[in-house]
Amino acid sequence: MTEKLYQIISKVFNVDSSKINDETSPENLEEWDSFNFYVLLDEIENEFDIKLDLDETLEIKKIGDIKKIFTKHGVKAE
Amino acid sequence: MKNEENLAYFLNEAKTIKPRDLEKKLRVAFLASSTINGFEETMRVKCFQKGIECITYVGDYNQYNQEILNQDSELYKFKPDITFLILDTRHILGEHFFSWHAVPHDKKLKFVEIKINEIKKLCDTFEENSESKLIMTSLQIPSYSSYGISEQREIQGIKEMVSELNNKLFDHCRRFDTNHKIFIYDFNEFISKFGEKNIFNYKQFFSGDIKISTEYIPKFVNELMGYVYAILGITKKCIVLDLDNTLWGGVIGEDGFDNIKLGDNPIGHSFVEFQKRLLALNQRGIILAINSKNNFDDAMEVIQKHPNMILKEDNFACVKINWDNKVGNLQEIAKELNISLDSMVFFDDDPLNQEYVRESLPSVLVVDLPKDSSQYAQIITEMKEFDILKITEEDTKRGPMYLGQKKRKELESKVGDFDEFLKQMNIVVNIQKANSFSIPRISQLTLKTNQFNLTTKRYQEEEIGKFSSSKNKIVECIQVSDKFGDNGITGTYIVEKENAEEWIIDTFLLSCRIMGRGVEEIMMNQIVEKAKLSGIKKIKGEFIPTKKNKPAENFYEKLGFKKENEFWVFNTDNTLKKPGHIKVERND
Repeated sequence: MTEKLYQIISKVFNVDSSKINDETSPENLEEWDSFNFYVLLDEIENEFDIKLDLDETLEIKKIGDIKKIFTKHGVKAE
Repeated sequence: MKNEENLAYFLNEAKTIKPRDLEKKLRVAFLASSTINGFEETMRVKCFQKGIECITYVGDYNQYNQEILNQDSELYKFKPDITFLILDTRHILGEHFFSWHAVPHDKKLKFVEIKINEIKKLCDTFEENSESKLIMTSLQIPSYSSYGISEQREIQGIKEMVSELNNKLFDHCRRFDTNHKIFIYDFNEFISKFGEKNIFNYKQFFSGDIKISTEYIPKFVNELMGYVYAILGITKKCIVLDLDNTLWGGVIGEDGFDNIKLGDNPIGHSFVEFQKRLLALNQRGIILAINSKNNFDDAMEVIQKHPNMILKEDNFACVKINWDNKVGNLQEIAKELNISLDSMVFFDDDPLNQEYVRESLPSVLVVDLPKDSSQYAQIITEMKEFDILKITEEDTKRGPMYLGQKKRKELESKVGDFDEFLKQMNIVVNIQKANSFSIPRISQLTLKTNQFNLTTKRYQEEEIGKFSSSKNKIVECIQVSDKFGDNGITGTYIVEKENAEEWIIDTFLLSCRIMGRGVEEIMMNQIVEKAKLSGIKKIKGEFIPTKKNKPAENFYEKLGFKKENEFWVFNTDNTLKKPGHIKVERND
């Protein structure tokens, strides 16, 4: 799951996946802006076949938060 | 979804585009009543892929009124060629969007009147202040009415009201028919194609006032690309078709006349539908040609005699049914029809043929046709490459004109001697000043003619209109007919009356269908005769070389113009040769 998630993030933000970790956020990744974040959420919903609630999307401050939501939605760790 | 179609791809790709000196340039402005991030990036990338340098301007969020109404706005300073104004129903209706049921009848009428006047004022002000085309979206008819199922029983439900606003808007824009500056993109077409539930994403709307979801932005911009192609005049002119498993199911050489699939069964229905779409395009001015590996007689029998064949022999301007290679055939078709490869689209079900043509002739648009024929009709209706802003009379006549062309070729090869052939053609050239009927066509000719074009200056209709009413310019066009039919308006020239001694040829072009029959000499004769009557000593013309106008390269020299610096100059004391086989008429 982590690998697939990082692939999507890397594709949407156009950064190398080695630059991505749980602490990655708009503060430390300049390629992450308010608009392409929507694109990212959309890709994640499609790729993992889940629907995020609006409040869940608002809670995402860093990549680690996405993983927490995944656990909640039962997306398997591997 | 494929990578090259999603918004992330376009956003990232847009960052890598470096200014490059592309031949085709376009300045595009976007104005909107909601968030339109991603639109300009997608359009720049799509343009770049087609060899167009697209420079964009995006108006500030929801500032479209000020941008249009203020004559000193950044929008007007940007000087766009195309402006897209993306309006949406929620914004225009405000609170009424939710509570239309509660508005008293007289207030409803008043509201519609106020809103339509606001939009009309935007159109009119824009038209006065800018040379740009304006493409405005119509308003989405809401799928939900607060009246519920009684909506249709109400005197004026919300859907009826929005339809009425749209109809009034369509009506108003038809008034700009003389200069073709304002167009409506019917947003409901987009909604009905992809569905409101897909396009409108509540989460994205609440989070960022995004009214076209990020997933559908590339599809929406693709719709707008039709206007880009049309305005730049780079739409496709000719569809070249394979036969077996492209126009009918099965292989005629193996299955035989009675067993190919055309009508009468599910597979057969899909080919009939595809042919019906092709026929409609043909009637609208797209030329059809055949490129098929087959025994000529077997395949022609189907075309001539199969009861369910929609396209008839006369719908094809050029037919190549042989065992030669398909690339060679395509080149032959281009040569015979006198059109360039980049104006051709190739439909062939065989992936190997597709790849072969793509590799060998990269300028031909090869359609990625799948094995499943049920998709063919949809694929062709979704193509934006055939769109033109306004269908001219010439477009609808093009089919018969190319048929005449086919018959001319037959005569030419029968007669053998070219001069004798020209005499037998009975060519008549009618010359006329530009008028409101011919102006759209003259503009179209300047936009589309590449080969016999001395200066390749591209002009929109409003520019041609201005030139034709200017005292300092001559704008004339020619209509050519012969014993095989009318070719319509196929040539034009624009002459600048520089001073009392000299005239300068600004534009001189002839459709490639006509070139090489002496018509170009007749046109130049007209200019010289006019110049002599006005006491002009010198006619000067430039040849501006492009990748494609080599056929016109030696034209001045052949006619006796002398090179002086960058100009070719003709002294009107001399006489210009005049072809004797052409009858000239003037329609003034």
